[in-house]
Amino acid sequence: MSRAAEAKLPVVRPLDRRSARRRAAWRRRGQVLAFMSPWLLGFTIFFGYPLVMTAYYSFTHYDLLSSPKWIGLANYRYLFSGDPIIRTAISNTLWIIAVAVPLNAIFAFGVAVMLSRARRGIGFFRTVFYLPALVPPVAATLGFVYLLNPATGPVNNLLRHLGLPDPLWFDSPTWAKPSLVLLGLWGIGNLMIIFLAAVIDVPKHLYESAELDGAGGWQSMRWVTLPTISPVILFAIVIGVIEGLQYFTQAYVASTIAAGSAASATEGANSLGYPLYSTMFYPVLLYQQGFRYFNMGYASAMAMLLLVVAFAVTVIIVRNSRRWVHYQGPAVR
Amino acid sequence: MRRVAIAGLVLLVLSASVIAGCGGSSESSSGSADLTFWTGFTDRELGVMKDVVADFEKTHPDIHVKVVGGISDDKIVAAIRGGNAPDVAHSFDAGAYTGAYCSNGAWIDLADYMKQDGLSDDVFPEVPREYSQFEGTRCALPMLADVYGLYYNKDLLAKAGLDGPPQTMSQLMDYAKKLTVRKPDGSLEVVGLDPFDGFYENIAAHWAPQWGVDWVDESGKSNLAAQPGWASMLEWQKELIDWYGYDNLVRWQASAGDEFSAQNAFERGKLAMNLDGEWRVAFIGSEHPELNFGTAPLPVDDAQPDLYGSGYTSGSIIGIPKTSGHKDEAWQLLKYLATDTGALVKMTNGIRNVPTTTAALESPDVKPDEAFNIFLDIFANPNTRTTPITLVGSANQDLVDAFVTKYQAGKVDDLQAGLADLDKQIDAQLEAAGGAQVP
Amino acid sequence: MTSATAKAQPPTFTRRKPPANVRRRRFLVTVADHSFLIAAALVFLAPFVFIVLTAFMTNDQALSPDLWPHPFRFQNFADVFSEAPLWRYALNSLIYGGLATLFLLASSIPVAYALAKLRWRGREAAFLIVLVAMLLPPQVTVIPVYVMWAKLHLVGSLWPLILPNLLGDAFSIFLLRQFFLTIPDEYLDAARVDGCGEFRILTTVVLRLAKPAIAAVALFSFLFCFNDFFGPLLYTGESPDNWTLSVGLAQFRTVHQVQWNLTMAATLIVIAPVVVLFFLAQRAFVEGVTLTGVKG
Repeated sequence: MSRAAEAKLPVVRPLDRRSARRRAAWRRRGQVLAFMSPWLLGFTIFFGYPLVMTAYYSFTHYDLLSSPKWIGLANYRYLFSGDPIIRTAISNTLWIIAVAVPLNAIFAFGVAVMLSRARRGIGFFRTVFYLPALVPPVAATLGFVYLLNPATGPVNNLLRHLGLPDPLWFDSPTWAKPSLVLLGLWGIGNLMIIFLAAVIDVPKHLYESAELDGAGGWQSMRWVTLPTISPVILFAIVIGVIEGLQYFTQAYVASTIAAGSAASATEGANSLGYPLYSTMFYPVLLYQQGFRYFNMGYASAMAMLLLVVAFAVTVIIVRNSRRWVHYQGPAVR
Repeated sequence: MRRVAIAGLVLLVLSASVIAGCGGSSESSSGSADLTFWTGFTDRELGVMKDVVADFEKTHPDIHVKVVGGISDDKIVAAIRGGNAPDVAHSFDAGAYTGAYCSNGAWIDLADYMKQDGLSDDVFPEVPREYSQFEGTRCALPMLADVYGLYYNKDLLAKAGLDGPPQTMSQLMDYAKKLTVRKPDGSLEVVGLDPFDGFYENIAAHWAPQWGVDWVDESGKSNLAAQPGWASMLEWQKELIDWYGYDNLVRWQASAGDEFSAQNAFERGKLAMNLDGEWRVAFIGSEHPELNFGTAPLPVDDAQPDLYGSGYTSGSIIGIPKTSGHKDEAWQLLKYLATDTGALVKMTNGIRNVPTTTAALESPDVKPDEAFNIFLDIFANPNTRTTPITLVGSANQDLVDAFVTKYQAGKVDDLQAGLADLDKQIDAQLEAAGGAQVP
Repeated sequence: MTSATAKAQPPTFTRRKPPANVRRRRFLVTVADHSFLIAAALVFLAPFVFIVLTAFMTNDQALSPDLWPHPFRFQNFADVFSEAPLWRYALNSLIYGGLATLFLLASSIPVAYALAKLRWRGREAAFLIVLVAMLLPPQVTVIPVYVMWAKLHLVGSLWPLILPNLLGDAFSIFLLRQFFLTIPDEYLDAARVDGCGEFRILTTVVLRLAKPAIAAVALFSFLFCFNDFFGPLLYTGESPDNWTLSVGLAQFRTVHQVQWNLTMAATLIVIAPVVVLFFLAQRAFVEGVTLTGVKG
């Protein structure tokens, strides 16, 4: 329970009659209802009802032109045994979560620690590291596809000058996902700020006593910094996983632009996943099935699977949320 | 704190301007004859299209048409679902999409209008007449057709000591290798021919007729593994790609320049031969008139020389999405674009696409052009093919091209088993989408 | 807390000087830190530099290994506007971001207040549901929602993106609630004793105290809309008149077959307003970001 609620004392009201009190209680209830009404409506219309309908559509064939046709478990059968692409989409999604989330956290943490120790120019550096996070994802992705153009991009020009291997980046099934990871690392600004706040707020006396105990820099990092900011690390991982499950924009733009720079025969949505489905992530496939092929029944089945996974993740988070959501103590602030 | 105030102020100003802007942006479709026409053409070609539509507006002063270019089938399909489709829509890919539009009423049935105006579909030659209807439902009229052939750079051929276009696949391979120029570091300067799936117009559908292969058997099942031509075609492509080096080719493509721009690699002499559509004749004429090029039918499988002269054709179709609020006026525009000889000739001369009425094909006003006439011949060849019509748009072809890409990248160990597996995937996909392919 | 982030801690001189070897090690660590920071800063800035340089190049130069534009082609920026209706896209982005933010504030503040400062049964459960709704991917419900808007004939417009904000947004509710919790109850109780109703308390006391948080939420909401790609692609993908900058930029190359120099010029034009906004409201940004993190 939050302290705010506990701290509230019953309002003293002498000589109240019972009916008046009941009326007051009703009024309070009415008030809460009024305050909550936008959310109640919004939740019903844009969450509760669609959730039920997603479940229903997932058992139908539905193309939005004729009414849904009940086909039982056929969509799920295709999902689990027929669809040649979905396994790739799932493993790509897991890959990006498994690689990008820890990398982003480590990198953001590293930059934050360096920043917290910097003597000079902290404001400048903080701005520089934060700025890329502001760049709209579409613009950032376009920029990276250009920078990493295998033939004419400045990055490969540099690599060739240095005599290093020059990968095909967004045009290579092996390098496309790492390219997206690089793009993600460029935009760690938000995470970095959060880590920076946490690192700076680690009580100084903890470091001092660690130093007195003979701990070196690495050890005080391991035994003082990390444990103290662990809730932030948890937060970073949780948000990373959630974002990973929704990964769409960068993959969509990178694949269509990289494919489109040479190819037009496979235009638009058909170049999703380019090259070789290496950037076909679960939300991208769901979009393609639902809103390009208009297999809305099948896309709903995909949505149900996503729901189960995302819900499991969410439950884990909410269970652990006491450690960061309700936290009110002074230690981290 | 002051900065926060500034931010708040900025937001306030923004939102105020927004409310003002919002009132102005709502477009009312008051006039009963304001049509929207979506077409896939862009830039110069779109200009020609707009000219033709302007002619229509002159003869139909009550009807005003807004022409929107750069529209793909994806968008038409989505817009019909979303309820914001135009009054007349134009699709480049009849083979893939006629089924998707006709089978479910997405485009309205035109039979009544045709009867009312006494218009018979005999005005269209047989091939376009067929690909613009689906199982007896005529929801579309053909408007221009695309035909694919070989473009070759005469100067580069002469420099390599080659004479005339290649006619068989083994000749084509030989030519491609001889025409290729590498830089000292081994990377590609000029490529002879790039069969990479997805590069420019290179997709399985456009190459398949040269190997004489079909997509489906009589029952509508996918039939790739059983026809040896498919495997030969893929092996041929992979042999050439491996000769360049896969990575080299991809790197070259990344600098090749966009297909529909003046940077096009063939137009700039960076690509000696190319599979392309008949429209390229007009593109070259306007972007690189100095280019010394020739056109020819695509070479064919060495084992089936009699196929030479044929190619792939795909029709463009136009129709009226069911969400149109001005169907009668839309029909007027449709009829004009699809059957008016003057309109078709103007488009043919401007865009250099193949006209799709017998009258326009025979019209003396069609400007003769050696390079372009080759495509008229390919169009007329009895062995010229198109892709089977399905209910799912190009989803099945997407699977094939995905497989071809994978094979070209060297990620398929057993081609025959891969093709058999692909057959199964396509059938499963079509079943999941609620219908089989129609041969 | 955030004030601390702005300042580096001054070294403490109260203790006796550490031995020379420790000082040398500290010095080396400082040098190492700074060299890392400078190197990293260069890497972080490089993409901006290349985007800017390419935006001034000619067509052919953008496809060549040259790094420095020569000549500088300012014409690119004019060309961009003639290739694509960027003003139109910008206006649409403003409409979407502005209206959505206004609506979202109006609807989310009362909800957040009820979740933070009113006592009622089921409050914790309601808050959990808000959390769940915030964390679940939008793809889970997107199909029926799209069908709903299609049946209302609003697909193709920006309304499917704007109107839902009238009914609260989980993330903003969460953020505001977290901030409202930090407002001491004493203020509210004092107002209650004075006979204020809860609505009065909200509009006078709470709003006044929560200005920074509200500004941060507004900023986030606006940026979210400005950056949003999935929503506008889904609902306006087929209506170029209603494209936002994000969608227009993503389609810039494919629809108009535009070369890289112009694409980068357009990219620059899209990035610029956000960067300007950042420098105008830097503190609100940093405070807002930390608010999303561990703040209770």
